[in-house]
Amino acid sequence: MQETLEDFFKALRGSDLDVTLTDSIEAGRAIEIVGLADREVLKHALGATLAKSMDERLIFDACFDRFFSFDAFKERPAGGGDGVNTTPFAMEGSGSGAGSGGSGGQRLVDMLMRQDQAGLAKAMKEAARQVGMTDIWFFTQKGLYIQKIQKQMGSEQLDRDLAQLAAQPGQSAQVAALKLARRRLFEEVKDFVEKQLAMYGTAPTKRLHDEYLQAQKLSNIEQRDFQRMHDIVRKIAKRLSVIHSKKKKQEDRGVLDFRKTLRRNVAFDGVMFETYWKTKVIDRPKVIAICDVSGSVRAYAKFLLLFLYSLSELLSKIRSFAFTNTLVDVTATFDGMPVQQAVDKVMKDVGGSGTDYGQMFMDLQAQLMKEIDKKTTVLILGDARNNNGDPQTEVMKLLHQRAKRVIWLNPEPRVFWGLGDSEMKRYLPYCHLAKECNTVKHLERTMDDLLRVSTATA
Amino acid sequence: MKSLYEHRFNSVAAVETEFAQAQYIASRQIATSVYLAFNLQKPILVEGPAGVGKTELAKTMAEVLEVPLIRMQCYEGLDESKALYEWKYGKQLLYTQLLKDKLGELMEGAKGLAQSIERLHSHDDLFFSEHFLEPRPLYKALHEEAGCVLLIDEIDKSDQEFEAFLLEVLSDFQVSVPELGTIKATVRPFVFLTSNNTREMSDALKRRCLHLYIPFPDAKLERRILETRVPGLSKSLRNELVAFIQNVRTLELKKQPSVSETIDWAKVLLLLNAEHLNVDMVRDTLNTFLKFEEDIAAADERLVNFVGKAREEGALLHARNP
Ligand SMILES: Nc1ncnc2c1ncn2[C@@H]1O[C@H](COP(=O)(O)OP(=O)(O)OP(=O)(O)O)[C@@H](O)[C@H]1O
Ligand SMILES: [Mg+2]
Repeated sequence: MQETLEDFFKALRGSDLDVTLTDSIEAGRAIEIVGLADREVLKHALGATLAKSMDERLIFDACFDRFFSFDAFKERPAGGGDGVNTTPFAMEGSGSGAGSGGSGGQRLVDMLMRQDQAGLAKAMKEAARQVGMTDIWFFTQKGLYIQKIQKQMGSEQLDRDLAQLAAQPGQSAQVAALKLARRRLFEEVKDFVEKQLAMYGTAPTKRLHDEYLQAQKLSNIEQRDFQRMHDIVRKIAKRLSVIHSKKKKQEDRGVLDFRKTLRRNVAFDGVMFETYWKTKVIDRPKVIAICDVSGSVRAYAKFLLLFLYSLSELLSKIRSFAFTNTLVDVTATFDGMPVQQAVDKVMKDVGGSGTDYGQMFMDLQAQLMKEIDKKTTVLILGDARNNNGDPQTEVMKLLHQRAKRVIWLNPEPRVFWGLGDSEMKRYLPYCHLAKECNTVKHLERTMDDLLRVSTATA
Repeated sequence: MKSLYEHRFNSVAAVETEFAQAQYIASRQIATSVYLAFNLQKPILVEGPAGVGKTELAKTMAEVLEVPLIRMQCYEGLDESKALYEWKYGKQLLYTQLLKDKLGELMEGAKGLAQSIERLHSHDDLFFSEHFLEPRPLYKALHEEAGCVLLIDEIDKSDQEFEAFLLEVLSDFQVSVPELGTIKATVRPFVFLTSNNTREMSDALKRRCLHLYIPFPDAKLERRILETRVPGLSKSLRNELVAFIQNVRTLELKKQPSVSETIDWAKVLLLLNAEHLNVDMVRDTLNTFLKFEEDIAAADERLVNFVGKAREEGALLHARNP
């Protein structure tokens, strides 16, 4: 337990929450007093001890959830032992009792075949410890650790087992299933490493830190990094606008319109007296952007808004909206205020609980549909989690028919789309483009897409 | 007399139960903080919007522990001496008048001003003794024999120097007073500090305390609070009322209705003897839980929608748990 606690402190420090020696002693005492049986009590007790303000409490809660979740593999169907992972300290106790660790104990191939999610999660965690995961420094080491952990879990043996299986006749279905499972394993380990990195990674230089932020899942970034994050987005935005205006200049110069010139100059015996140049009119994109800022996307909302703000600086014909349930026009706020203030204001004014995509779509239908035509790009940012309300899919359908393009950026990974109260699967058929978007890299790519799309086809 | 630390809370759940018996519905988070603070003998620094039950929490703790609640309201300019005690100048003056003759005798034979003052000084401690002392909250708190719950309200309003002084008090519960020497607590008070975050507290103070943030309650908790605080209200109306208030809190308002406003409103509706919310009734009573004209107007705009939603929510709850 002491070891786990130490790791947790490291994670907190990695999130910029100072844990002094006194704090760590107090935390130990707190655990003695409240015990480990109840995860929620444990969280509140450690939170009350280690966080000293509301801001710090938010950081703490996020960090605690990340650190003690180990919910990897959870979302897969057919799960073994539930609840094993809820109390991390307890789990560790039983783990070491059970013996020789994931790699030595069970063959990876067997666990994958049996879809033993709990076993896999445990093996991964143990492998991570064995390869010294907590010493990870910055994201350049990510690949290395993904490799190391997989190897520790027995990936080499798995490959041999797979090869053997493939050599036998009539096993192709099995082989395919196993290959799929191996891919998933890779994804899980990658995700796990990213999370760990977010917890332990404190990059030594600013440049590395910037890169680190870029590669991070946005929800893993703490409040304090917001300013830095904004600078990065701004840089991206600037670069993109440079690209954009360069393109424009080239296109302004244009190409000789040979045919037209010839035709016009017949009278001069083909001597090109008057020249005609093709000049392409740049169609400045007309964008309607709608951003979910409700509780379920809380961790991402600020960043989605930040993105939206940058976008509104970049594009002239954009109208921005935010919603939790009703649709609120925030264009004026974005145009009239500096970024931090604008984002805070929108969060304060529009953020809340009780997401209602249905209501948002109804508002959109009533207020915006008539403005949407074949030149409009509609950009929706959100997780499509509708609290089991009416999703108003027909509005999406209509939108899809009328608009040039409907783009949906969802902060959740694709595997979560449609699970629980996510309506993403229902909206998906009516999106021209739908992407997972939760890192600055994603945003960057999407922004590129968006601009390219809006300028190329006019 | 039983000292407050002889009380035993068996678990976090026990805190919840005992507080509920004293009519305070503590969330898991609140109960955990109280349980921990009590066992660690540490103060709790409580933050949260107005009317979410910060003061009530301290009151309830006192009630549960069966000790007095001593409240110290902070303000700008509050200093060490005002927090501890003041001399009863009036009484001192009166006594010097009454004892004029005695003083005359005492002064007899003294030559010159210097010698007179010298003589007076030797009797200082008569006038600067506990007889002439007006105890202020901190002094009282340190003298409670069985201990007490000390509520230091709105600490953020006090000056930094005062905060530093308080820090000293909170670390060993003793202060030295020039005229009286050292005062030490008989039993350490159980301390709550509240802050509205108008300024940042010093790191040192924060480190001494456990931190607790009390947000607006979620619907489930708020229903339970109403159930204990306004027991006469019908279940259907209670459910709808809470659903309505929770919706109002999603609006942008100058002042969000807090638990105290929910309770006020419930008491008003109780008089109207209704089983369900309806638009007119709500419109007529908006001013019981919204204090600004703009806020009332904003709520009025969404009134029909919110009443509808509240009734739906009520029906849903009823279906689930008739
Ligand atoms: N959890 C609760 N259980 C029972 N009653 C509660 C609870 N929370 C608040 N109340 C009631 O709400 C009212 C307001 O609480 P209180 O005065 O303690 O708020 P406060 O947070 O101290 O506000 P302020 O910041 O204005 O001082 C009290 O009458 C109390 O009875
Ligand atoms: Mg109060």
